[in-house]
Amino acid sequence: MSRPEAAEKVIKQIRVMKAVAFATYKEWAAYRTHAMVSIFVGPVYFLVQYFIWNAVYAAKGSINGLTLEQMMRYFGTAALINYLIMDFADWNLQMLIHTGKYLTYMLRPMSHIYFALSQKVGHRILGFIFEFVPVFLIFAFVFRIPLIPANIGYAAVSVLLGFMMMFLVDYCVGVTAFWLTRASGIRRMFLLLRDICSGVYLPLSFFPGTVQKVMFVLPFQFISYVPARVCTGTYELAGIVLGIPQIVGIQALAVAAMLLFTVLFSRLGNRRFTGVGA
Amino acid sequence: MTRLIKIYLVSLKNSFAARMAYRGDFFLCCVLILVSEMLVPLLTMLIYSTGASFPGWNLAEVMVLQGVFMLARGTANLLFFGIVYNTLSHVREGTYDLFMIKPVSVLFISIASGFEPDSIGTIAGGLLVTAVSAGQLQPPDGADILRFLLIFAFSLLILFSFAVLMSATVFKWVGNSRIYEIFDSITSFGNYPLTIFGRTFRIIISYIIPVSVIAFYPASALLGKDISGFVPAIPVCVLFLILSLGVWKLMLSKYTSAGG
Repeated sequence: MSRPEAAEKVIKQIRVMKAVAFATYKEWAAYRTHAMVSIFVGPVYFLVQYFIWNAVYAAKGSINGLTLEQMMRYFGTAALINYLIMDFADWNLQMLIHTGKYLTYMLRPMSHIYFALSQKVGHRILGFIFEFVPVFLIFAFVFRIPLIPANIGYAAVSVLLGFMMMFLVDYCVGVTAFWLTRASGIRRMFLLLRDICSGVYLPLSFFPGTVQKVMFVLPFQFISYVPARVCTGTYELAGIVLGIPQIVGIQALAVAAMLLFTVLFSRLGNRRFTGVGA
Repeated sequence: MTRLIKIYLVSLKNSFAARMAYRGDFFLCCVLILVSEMLVPLLTMLIYSTGASFPGWNLAEVMVLQGVFMLARGTANLLFFGIVYNTLSHVREGTYDLFMIKPVSVLFISIASGFEPDSIGTIAGGLLVTAVSAGQLQPPDGADILRFLLIFAFSLLILFSFAVLMSATVFKWVGNSRIYEIFDSITSFGNYPLTIFGRTFRIIISYIIPVSVIAFYPASALLGKDISGFVPAIPVCVLFLILSLGVWKLMLSKYTSAGG
């Protein structure tokens, strides 16, 4: 393929993504008050964490190497990152397979993975406006949490990679529906595992040493834990301390490997699709 | 009353039959709900494993509290919390009229047809956590158990009021599936001892939105701790129920059958 042809192809893909993202944005903007629920829910959950950790730190200056201020910063950052990377590709794909509607996507001149990714882009732009920005302001001005990343460039790259990793992991969960048809149980299990292992509920450094070692090799830490630690400026897991450029590099490699796996897994699943639904 | 019980039992049977169409998924869901309900106790254990603690509460006591919370949520989900999903989905589809033309109370039929068998996992989890943790403490006497049962009834009353309030809001706020998140976030305060909250906040979650009645007071009764703060919360619980039923009635009158 010549260079102009390749460039044209890339431009076409960007145009397709822009169109799908815009349509998704418009579609979900009709339900923007649903997104705005986060303005209430996010700070309320954070308030619970605030009380818990204030009580816990009352007798201790530092727990697992984190001070109260660092802990609050971690939770604030992790919550905000979640608004940027949140995903439901698993649910969507499972529903399409379950109902047989996936057939219509097989007939389209683009892969479903790319379509779903473009949908996520549009959906999260909406999330950025109606969830991220208001909650960021509440965390920064009401709770006075220092949320500006130590290195904005690396933090942006890491969040972007976290966005991709979240999508790919969820998409793989959705692909299991090609075999299981109705996979809500599997979905729940994976989502729970994903959230625990990605550090949404507690920094991964709180888990026992052996568990931390397992988590280090799993893809989940790259969803939320790594971006949150990159934003706070330090990274440590299972006794391994890495510089920010190193961990972001590892995160990029992990995303590339996951992308390859997702494409192969999805192709395998497509072969099983009968178009009937269940 | 006998007729209502019969209707409830038939609805229960139907719900089970419908769920059993995907038996494997049902059992998997029960197990997974059980596992997922262990999340809060697991996090608490991790916190305590670092040597930290909540003031005035040891690990076993906090586990009892969180077990009671699960038990209350599970029982509520099984018996009446389905009303929220029922109302939400039927109002969105514009098919809530089907409930309104039936010759029984709309509220009753919405509850009866919302039986959620998957919640058995939550109840099992709650019983397991409560029993295992309580086993590590001094066993409660008969009076403690009676007090627990009484306050637990109020706990279910509060959850019922929440369920009615939530389903009332979806008549106007059509299709708002995130109503569950609002509920979860508010009730998450109930998973922890009151002692960790500030004074003003304790008053709010005891006497304005009585979240502490869900688990803190029943668990305190079971553990033989001071429950004097519960007495002033009783009229608040009753008022909360009256308010929720009033809001339900008001919102039901605003139902337009249009879907959304």
